[in-house]
Amino acid sequence: MAHGAEHTEQEHGLRPMQYVAIGAGLAVITIIELWISYADLGSLMVPLLLGLSAFKFVVVVGWFMHLRFDHRLYTQAFAASLTLGVLVTLALLTLYWGDAADSIRGYREWLNSG
Amino acid sequence: MAHAPAVAHGGAHVTSTGTENRKLLMWIFLGSECLFFGSLIATYLVFKHQVIERGIGPFPIDVTIDGKVEHGIFDIPLTSTSTFVLLMSSVTMVLAVYGAHQHRLKMMKLGLLSTMLLGLVFLGFQVYEFRTFGHEGLNLTTNMFGATFFLLTGFHGTHVGVGVLYLGSLLAASFRRNGLGRETGEHVEIAGLYWHFVDIVWIVIFTVLYLIP
Repeated sequence: MAHGAEHTEQEHGLRPMQYVAIGAGLAVITIIELWISYADLGSLMVPLLLGLSAFKFVVVVGWFMHLRFDHRLYTQAFAASLTLGVLVTLALLTLYWGDAADSIRGYREWLNSG
Repeated sequence: MAHAPAVAHGGAHVTSTGTENRKLLMWIFLGSECLFFGSLIATYLVFKHQVIERGIGPFPIDVTIDGKVEHGIFDIPLTSTSTFVLLMSSVTMVLAVYGAHQHRLKMMKLGLLSTMLLGLVFLGFQVYEFRTFGHEGLNLTTNMFGATFFLLTGFHGTHVGVGVLYLGSLLAASFRRNGLGRETGEHVEIAGLYWHFVDIVWIVIFTVLYLIP
C-alpha cells in the first residue's frame, strides 16, 4: 500500500511542502525582479528581467504543470506551439517596429513643418 | 476484434501513444493561446513606443517632454502585489491537483476554493487598476498605448474569470453526489493546466509591460 502511494506521488510530481517551497522561491524571484526594475543596472536590466521571467516560466511549466514528470508528447506539443508563438511575436516586432518608427518620424516631421 | 480503450489509474482514458487525450487536447489549446498572447504582446510593444514618441499621454513610464516630467501611469508596487497573489494561486492549484490524485477530497476542495478566491482578488486588483487609469484619462480610445494595454490585460483578465468559473464548476461538482468520480484527478489536473497557463502568461506580461521600461 505504501509502495502504491509512493508510486502515485512520484507519477504526479512532488510533495505538498515541496510545491510550497517552489512557490516561495517564485515569490522571492518576483521581489528580485522588482528590485532590478528600480535599481540602475543599465544595459543588464532587460536581459536580467527576461532571464528571471523565463526561469519562472520554466519552473511553473515543468513542476506545477507536471511537464517534467509527464509523457514527452505533451512537452513536444507545447514546445512546438510555444516556439511558433515566439517566432510569430518576433516576426510581428520585426515587421512593424520599423513601420512604427517610420510613422513616428513622419508624424514629427509633419508637426515640425506645420 | 475491437479493443477497449486503455484506462490509466484513476480512470483516465489513454490513447495508443500512452497519453491522456483530454490532457493532450488541453496542451494543444494552451499552445494556440501562446500564439494569441504573443501577438497581443507584440502589438503592445510596437504601439507603446509610438505613444511616447508622439508625446500624447497618459504614458506608461516617466517621460520628459519640453523639460517637463510626465509621470508614468503604472503603479508597480500594486501590480507586484497582484502578481504575488496570482503566483500563490498557482501553489493552491497544484495542491488541489495533488489532493485530487491522492483522493484527499478535503484538500482538493480547499485548494480549489483558495485558488478561486485568489483569482477573484487578482481580478479585484485589475478592476481597481482599470478604474484608476480611467480617472487619469486613459481608456481604450485615448491612444494606442491605452488600446493595446486594455486589450492585452483585459483578455488576460477574461481568462482569469473563465478560470474561476471553471474551478467553481469543479468545486460544485465535487459536492454533488456521484460528481467527480473516478476521473477526478484528470479533471482537476486539466483545470490546473489552464490555471497555471494563465499564471505564466501573467509572468510574461508583468515583466514585459510593467517592469521593462
